[in-house]
Amino acid sequence: MGRPGLNRRHLLTAAGGLAVAGSFGFAALGTGADALASGADTRVRYWNLFSGGDGANMIAMLDAFRKANPGIDVKDSTLQWGNPFYTKLAMAAAGNRAPDLGVMHMGRVTGFSPGRLLDPWDVGLLAKYGIREQDFNPLLWRRGVIDGELYALPLDIHVQLCFYRKDVLKKAGLLGDDGRMIPVTSTDEWFDVLKKAKAVQKKGLQTIGLWTNDQNFQWWFFVAFYTQLGGRWFNEDNTEVLFDADKATQVLEFLRRHVTDGYVIPGAPTGEQFINGAPFTWEGNWSVPVFSGAKLDYGATPLPPVFGKPATHAESHAFVLPHQADRGGAANEGAHELAAYVVKNALQWAAGGHIPAYTPTLSTAVYRKLTPQNEYVSAMDHQATEPKVWFAGSTGVLAQDLGPVVVSSTMGSAKPAAVANRMKSRLTKLLASKNPMDGRTAAQGGAVA
Amino acid sequence: MTTSAQTVVVPARARTATAVATVRRKQGFQHGGWFVAPFLALFALFVIWPLLRGVYLSFTDANISGEGASFVGLDNYREALNDAAMWDALGHSAYFTLLVVPCITVLAFLLAMLAHNIERGKWLWRLCFFVPFLLPSTVAANMFQWLFTQGIGLINQTFGLDTPWLTDKSYAMLAIVIMTLWWTVGFSFLLYLAALQGIPDHLYEAAKLDGANAWHRMVHITLPMLRNITGLVIALQILASLQLFDQAVVMMDFSPGPELSTRSFVQYTLEQGFTSYRVGYASAMSIIFFVIIAVIALARMWLLRNREEGTR
Repeated sequence: MGRPGLNRRHLLTAAGGLAVAGSFGFAALGTGADALASGADTRVRYWNLFSGGDGANMIAMLDAFRKANPGIDVKDSTLQWGNPFYTKLAMAAAGNRAPDLGVMHMGRVTGFSPGRLLDPWDVGLLAKYGIREQDFNPLLWRRGVIDGELYALPLDIHVQLCFYRKDVLKKAGLLGDDGRMIPVTSTDEWFDVLKKAKAVQKKGLQTIGLWTNDQNFQWWFFVAFYTQLGGRWFNEDNTEVLFDADKATQVLEFLRRHVTDGYVIPGAPTGEQFINGAPFTWEGNWSVPVFSGAKLDYGATPLPPVFGKPATHAESHAFVLPHQADRGGAANEGAHELAAYVVKNALQWAAGGHIPAYTPTLSTAVYRKLTPQNEYVSAMDHQATEPKVWFAGSTGVLAQDLGPVVVSSTMGSAKPAAVANRMKSRLTKLLASKNPMDGRTAAQGGAVA
Repeated sequence: MTTSAQTVVVPARARTATAVATVRRKQGFQHGGWFVAPFLALFALFVIWPLLRGVYLSFTDANISGEGASFVGLDNYREALNDAAMWDALGHSAYFTLLVVPCITVLAFLLAMLAHNIERGKWLWRLCFFVPFLLPSTVAANMFQWLFTQGIGLINQTFGLDTPWLTDKSYAMLAIVIMTLWWTVGFSFLLYLAALQGIPDHLYEAAKLDGANAWHRMVHITLPMLRNITGLVIALQILASLQLFDQAVVMMDFSPGPELSTRSFVQYTLEQGFTSYRVGYASAMSIIFFVIIAVIALARMWLLRNREEGTR
């Protein structure tokens, strides 16, 4: 997930604060010229939300496609990440001005009124361009299937990782013979690791960056550890809340303990501290280019399985077909061809830290040599995802509702047990509420493959 | 915070202006209509029509795509009035207003007195106090985001603090208040300065002859003469502060702040409309907000009406 282009982390690395002023509107909205590129007979209009390093990688893949397919003119537009993107996509689809191809977070697809604002993929046409279901993680593929139709073609998964500095861990005796962090299998072991790292680390820095104040990160971490405990959200029919307040309390207490035991400085910038010598930071895999660019000797592993079962939060970028009343013809075929090409040639994409969804890519020699990617590729098989309901998904209603509640527990202004109960009542309320896009509750939406 | 720079009647010119206006009014109105027409057309298109459309939407369950909305009567209003998160957000906007309005009024008055009574370099003082107001909210908010940053921020470094201004719910709103004071005090400062210049000198001279010291002169001449302007400053600030939005959003990296502590009413409305896609519900909240603001504005007009009858 490309983080929004406007936060302190980016500001610190940006050439200057004034660059921010430009990031409010659209970047690169195309030329608006109606003439087709020379020699092309089909135009594919493609909207995405990738900025920064992701944006550069996407553009490189598009350029490779253009070179290979001179008959197709790709008009790509990059829109601002997050809710503004979804708003514009919804309005364009409703007003029949939708692009031929779009990108969404997998978790948001269910709530995006598939069938009304999104058109299903033509699986036969995808097969023609080499996309077959068996080349994907079955759980991931099924997340894009709603009412029996494929609405989202996964491009990647992006996961939360435990980044660690090898120089510090070596000093603390926490590196194995393979040069990777020693495995951790319980909360006690984990805090023991933190303790040892703290003993040898540079003073004045925190031991681990946890984004204690960020409602998105705290929510993602919660989902990861709650899944490790085998916690469930709703029953199969989405008619009943199965949220386990005891398990939730365990997770919240675990997150909180990082603060109370003094391993976190609340509000301290996470990435900068890591670059300056803090032993650990939990971040999304999109930080890989940042840390590699800083020439750090570091590793990255999925979030530690402190509750026994490995699971780390995963979201996924997926290609979608925004609804067009007259979808079909050459532009639609071009959209299928373009999406298939990018999904199958996502090595460039992996450089941004994301794990390509197309599994044959993962076993190529080139991918296996990528570090630290080869260390966390296993996350593909241990995805902790939000429930498949209309209010879930990246920066969606669920995260917006529950994220701040998790933060209040981690920051210590509310007791974990009370917060767990509050989460349960929020979930109950959300389950009963209707998706404004089609007026159906999660149970009526029946968005189960 | 948007401060609508309404034209302000300066009491000094007030009497002549009123006299002229009375003469004009007798000459009839037919020419004026043409001058007003372009404004009225734009006003109808961009204010009146959206407002009416908003009222209509507030009675429906419209979503962002604008399709398939149905009439739901007063449901949205009922839900909003029972929505704890809405009251929280309204509380944040009110709290911000309670902090900003008295501070900015006192500060603007003090700065105006300073700039008015200083002998040399008057223009420089005026410029310094007013220039921040000319900055776009995003620029000013970004500057203060840097100033307030915990580890490397100038404010903590200068005062030897380690205050988590932007990341702790006890300080976040305070940081926005401080930024707002610096950014918008210039507008009220200018109103006061103009009013100060309108106080006739002979009043002060007469008071001096009667042996009044500086303190007496301020309490018995300056403040009473500024009563109307103070009323205006307070009213404009209340209306502007209640609409807290952009500086809070920019300073908090487009989040509702630590533990939702800086989520203003406007921000919550926006979330309902553009994250939850509930345009009907967001419209109902906007209308509720419109009513609150309108009541305050009308109350002010009513109060001023009584006051002007007293002074004229």
